[in-house]
Amino acid sequence: MTAVRSGPSRPQIFREALASALAAPVTSLLTLIMVAGMCTAVLLTSGRTVGAEQAVVSSIDSAGTRSIVVRAEVGAGLDTSMLRRLETLDGIAWYGGFGPASDVWNAAFPGGNPVAIRMAYGPDWSDAGVPAGATDGGSAYASPEALAELGMSHAFGRLTGAGGQGFTVAGHVDTPAHLDFLQPLLIAPQGIPDRDRETELSLLVVVAERPDLVAPVADAITAMLAADDPGKVTVETSEELATLRAMVEGQLGSFGQALTAGIFGITGALTAAILYGIVMMRRKDYGRRRALGASQRLIVSLLLVQTLILALTGAFLGTCVSILVLGLSSDPLPPTTYLFSVGILSVAVAVLASLIPAIVASRREPIAELRVP
Amino acid sequence: MTSPPARLTARALSFRYDAAVPLLEDWTSAFEAGEVVGVTGPSGRGKSTLLYLLGLMLRPSHGEVLLDGEPVHAAPDRARARLRAHRFGFVFQDAALDQSRTVLDNILEAALYRGDDLATAAQRARELMDRFGVGLRPTARPGQLSGGQAQRIALCRALLGDPAVLLADEPTGNLDAESSDLVIEALHDQAARGATVIVVTHDPTLVERCDRQLTL
Repeated sequence: MTAVRSGPSRPQIFREALASALAAPVTSLLTLIMVAGMCTAVLLTSGRTVGAEQAVVSSIDSAGTRSIVVRAEVGAGLDTSMLRRLETLDGIAWYGGFGPASDVWNAAFPGGNPVAIRMAYGPDWSDAGVPAGATDGGSAYASPEALAELGMSHAFGRLTGAGGQGFTVAGHVDTPAHLDFLQPLLIAPQGIPDRDRETELSLLVVVAERPDLVAPVADAITAMLAADDPGKVTVETSEELATLRAMVEGQLGSFGQALTAGIFGITGALTAAILYGIVMMRRKDYGRRRALGASQRLIVSLLLVQTLILALTGAFLGTCVSILVLGLSSDPLPPTTYLFSVGILSVAVAVLASLIPAIVASRREPIAELRVP
Repeated sequence: MTSPPARLTARALSFRYDAAVPLLEDWTSAFEAGEVVGVTGPSGRGKSTLLYLLGLMLRPSHGEVLLDGEPVHAAPDRARARLRAHRFGFVFQDAALDQSRTVLDNILEAALYRGDDLATAAQRARELMDRFGVGLRPTARPGQLSGGQAQRIALCRALLGDPAVLLADEPTGNLDAESSDLVIEALHDQAARGATVIVVTHDPTLVERCDRQLTL
């Protein structure tokens, strides 16, 4: 016995929805323009605000919002054992310790400018561009500023210290924002020494995972310092910057959210009203479909898929236009996730807006709709 | 015929659009497979409404519509839609074509709702167009059609699924004598294939050629 299909397959529904959209170019274009307009309106207003907020926050972040700097005088008792204690602390994105600075010169120019070199201790220096495992103690890595100061055109050469200590420049470092205060940066990465070879530190730099973690992490570090003489240790944080960052993010963020919600509300209601009108204009069409055997569910599906196709196209066009306009006016772009979210929300608003008239159209007796003049 | 023959019965059927004005009252009749029944009567007596009630497009105020002895008038929407798509064929008074789609799309519309293979259905649609001498390209739009051509397209759409019940509202209303003959033959052909054919008409030629007449 041959099985009787209960209705059209999903590809058939999609093709029919697409054909229906193409067969009614005026109403389809109107829907498409409404969704594109909604998307553009949101992106050119609240999207611009979000982009500006991101730019400001990013500027604050580049100033080292999340960093904590511990300075210890000679004899303070801060040593590399602190690095092992930091391993157990949550909320830390990066940490590293530095020994006391000592001057070195380019061995080729003994009378040249001295640059302070620091033994650098820590598990990971890849942020600074130092290759993993480059912790033999005799290799040094210099920032472009340090190389210029040393009179080296390339990151090659020998360095000599006042006590006859020598280093080989093995490469250059890309100074991360949290180490910018050490410029001209010249380090000799050491890894973390064994427990029986603890070494004194003069500087400890810790980067918290988030700005709001700066204060609790700084408190925890202070408690863990176990310095012999706490008076010789100072803890500097970027707490004020973190507070400023939180304020910028909070105020601009809530303004952007309110603006987004407001514009979505207005344009969404407008889109819904127009879509309702379009669907009501086509009542006779749905009446005929119902009379010929389309179920209520199929009518709703066809209408929603048709709106989905048009809304996706509209959202894509609206996003492209907004990016172009923001680019031409040199305004900062909102993040990609924001662009996607606005696009998806626009499509969702359009589909939801067409749901009510679709249900209304599908619920009427077929012949009542078919007899609409 | 793809759909098995059907016996359609209206039992004590009543309907009113307006509560104060009854259109049909306690109307009973049975329609057998293989017969062409003509429904006639003055305008406004509910002939078209009777057709819509029998075709499950309206729910009666009272009474029942039975298909092969099973009451179907109060079936859930999905079941009624399925019956309309699979077992009924309709020719509406004004053809009711989608003006925005091609002639071929219009003929294939009910096939879509049945979930038929549309390539096979399109082949049969072209054969029906040839049979009824529509004389148009399948890509033509209904706006380019005369009233007679539109009505023949509506007939092609109704016959495409080889329905067990064919309901036609003034199918010869816009046709010349030659085209009317063609349509009347098609209705009888469908009855000969085992279908129940019910025609609402004012056309005396068509009434004369029906197997049975009912007057409202």
